[in-house]
Amino acid sequence: MESDACAEKDRVVVTVLDPKFKYEVAKEPGGENIKYCFQCGTCTSGCPVSELDSKYNPRRIIRMAILGMRERVLASDFIWLCSTCYTCYERCPQDVRITEVMNALKNMAVRAGYIHPAFRAQAELIGGHGRLYEVDEFTNEKRAEIGLPALPASSPEVAEIYGMTGLANLLSGKGA
Amino acid sequence: MQAMQASCVKPRIGVYVCHCGLNIAGVVDVVAVRESASSLDGVVIARDNKYTCSEVGQKTIADDIRDFGLDRVVIASCSPRLHEKTFRALLEKCGMNPFLLEMANIREQCSWVHSGDSEAATEKAKALVRSAVARARLLTPLSRSEGRVVPKVMVVGGGVAGISAALYLGNMGIKTYLVERQPSIGGHMAMLDKTFPTLDCSLCILSPKMVEVAENENIEVLSYSEVEKVEGQVGDFRVQVRRKARYVDEDKCVGCGDCAAKCPVRVPDEFNRNMGERKAIYIPFPQAIPPAYVIDAEHCRYLTQGKCRVCEKVCERGAVMFDQTDRIETIEVGAIVVATGFQPYDASNKPQYGCGRYPNVITSLDFERIICADGPTHGKLKRPGDQAVPKRIAFIQCVGSRDEHRLDGAGAYCSRVCCMITAKQAFMIKEKYPDSEVYVYYTDMRTAGKGFEEFYQRGRGEGIVFVRGKPGEVREEEGGSLRITSEDADSGCILDLSFDMVVLAVGLTPPEGLVDLAQRLNLSRSADGFLMEGHPKLRPFETSIDGIFLAGCVQFPKDIPDSVAQAGGAAAVAAATCSRQKIEMDPLGPIIDEDLCIGCRLCEMLCPYGAIKVEKTDRGYKARSIEVACKGCGVCGASCSARAITMKHYSNDQIVAQTKALLEVS
Repeated sequence: MESDACAEKDRVVVTVLDPKFKYEVAKEPGGENIKYCFQCGTCTSGCPVSELDSKYNPRRIIRMAILGMRERVLASDFIWLCSTCYTCYERCPQDVRITEVMNALKNMAVRAGYIHPAFRAQAELIGGHGRLYEVDEFTNEKRAEIGLPALPASSPEVAEIYGMTGLANLLSGKGA
Repeated sequence: MQAMQASCVKPRIGVYVCHCGLNIAGVVDVVAVRESASSLDGVVIARDNKYTCSEVGQKTIADDIRDFGLDRVVIASCSPRLHEKTFRALLEKCGMNPFLLEMANIREQCSWVHSGDSEAATEKAKALVRSAVARARLLTPLSRSEGRVVPKVMVVGGGVAGISAALYLGNMGIKTYLVERQPSIGGHMAMLDKTFPTLDCSLCILSPKMVEVAENENIEVLSYSEVEKVEGQVGDFRVQVRRKARYVDEDKCVGCGDCAAKCPVRVPDEFNRNMGERKAIYIPFPQAIPPAYVIDAEHCRYLTQGKCRVCEKVCERGAVMFDQTDRIETIEVGAIVVATGFQPYDASNKPQYGCGRYPNVITSLDFERIICADGPTHGKLKRPGDQAVPKRIAFIQCVGSRDEHRLDGAGAYCSRVCCMITAKQAFMIKEKYPDSEVYVYYTDMRTAGKGFEEFYQRGRGEGIVFVRGKPGEVREEEGGSLRITSEDADSGCILDLSFDMVVLAVGLTPPEGLVDLAQRLNLSRSADGFLMEGHPKLRPFETSIDGIFLAGCVQFPKDIPDSVAQAGGAAAVAAATCSRQKIEMDPLGPIIDEDLCIGCRLCEMLCPYGAIKVEKTDRGYKARSIEVACKGCGVCGASCSARAITMKHYSNDQIVAQTKALLEVS
């Protein structure tokens, strides 16, 4: 998988970089300060996700973004692994706001057609049912017993929002 | 009185063994050394003190001199370089002749170098003290002679450090000679486009200083001149300066340029790093001081082929003077400030980067000229190979710095300024050409200085990509572009990228001719080749020679504010020297017994200071010492085949006694 490209054992030679990528990230809400990163590693050293899976390395993701490895970054599993605990955000000496940078990268990835399967599943559930789980008959019977109205099995309003925001197209692969 | 006492009566010696806190006592058994000293012949009292140089330590000695009637003092402590003056002054205060002091260095030469072996260190300390006592017995009182002080200073080197030093001195009312090898003062700073981190136009801030130098009535600029010979000592130097023939009368030339317009000879313009041309009669740059043209004798058609003289014909003021010749001027000064700067590392010594081979690989100084509005491209960023505007530019750091493989073997040091020079240049590219892509390949970014880190940060914000990883080589591709392969340590990837132009951030090396100049001034150089300061921390302006001071990059690479700061310090210490009424000189020279001297001239030939001359007398040729020039090195005494020369404070019998005592088995 391309996102593993920089795993330490492989000798990965990169001949083409996209110098515009860093500016695009900086224009995305949350990505404004990415260029100031000086690669100290404070983010990774305190990251609870890195502790569980050393493949998740926020410093390296930011590095690859600054260098302009567009595809490697946007197609990466890693940008989705951030638990948004904001530890790195608090500690970063250059105020890169890493958590927000990860959000910016996720938004850019989605627009580029890279949606992590777990998030796609969630989006499809919400789009289909209006919530993260399907409302079944059992639920509605219980609600009726205590005098609550039945919940609809689907939500046209959410579907409308999906359409208006463009998420529907993104999920169907028609692009942003 | 004292002299008689010294020679007739058995000496009364006091020995003081210093602990120097734990510096000595932590290794050497100072009590054992003191006990061994107390049994030596002539020793009346021996003590050990925690800090002999302290107020308490000195008082103990003073009391002993009075109570025991001491007439010799031996101090076993640190190097005499540190405290010999202190203790000589103490002896003088107690009414003794200051030259009846002897020091044994049991710290630098003993405890510090033998810290792993206390027993041997203690034995060595005993031997050194025994040897010092042996010499002390034979010491004789000497009197210092007095030298005059010429209240003038010479500043050698007219870059920003020399200019600043001269201005500080001139403004203090001290007559100052500013000697510059080139036709104009200004140095490297005049070649820079902008300065970091403020992006001030370099010449805009330098040229007012240059004009100030020219207008200061206390400063005399000797441009196109070099120091040939230096004689004398602190307070009274005689410097021979070669005034190279300029072939143009500085006072008559008004810099109109009519001569250059008509001159038929074009040569590469060294001020523009040989990009672009100048004439054989030229002014280095428009703001030059003195604002006078100069004829390049190597290329002038008249001076090489015997015909032309067009410049002479067109000069309305008759300033061209082909009959000028080099002349030697002797100038007397009381102090000298050496500020001869640096030269950029010659990048062609790193063939892997292709400088000199690939036209689009240039150095940081070349870049300054290219980006400068007054340079060969009038400030347009154009690569030398084809004058195309480069879109992708790479900088490579540490070329000739932090490099044990440098050909001269002296490249271990960090040149300090290259990181910021590159940050500045990369920033200037982004400022003028925001669409260009700028990569900086670095080893470490070192941006310590006021406003420096902020500037580096600003550069990152502009989108300059800093790649941690030094490229192994630069390869030229078709069309003149350049390929660089490097590891990006931060992502773990190998980057294999193509660029339109590569700038090598060359280090700063000692200036051409520094070896000769150091020899002429008798100054030491450190391992990096730059001039050695008096003390790395506490005497940064001084040198090992009294009256000679340092300013700027000749001591070590530094940026403009640091050069100016050191120039201020050097000016202050030089002024302090010049404000003295007279200078006392230690009586360390030779005594020549003319009955024994056979006039063989060996001493005259060997003396590095020209301080001995053999003169014709009624009794044949005899050597005569020139006291003011003598530095007491002892070469004459050691070489005299007739044994006619005795060194005053280091007589043969003293040295023999000292050596014998050292070799005794205790």
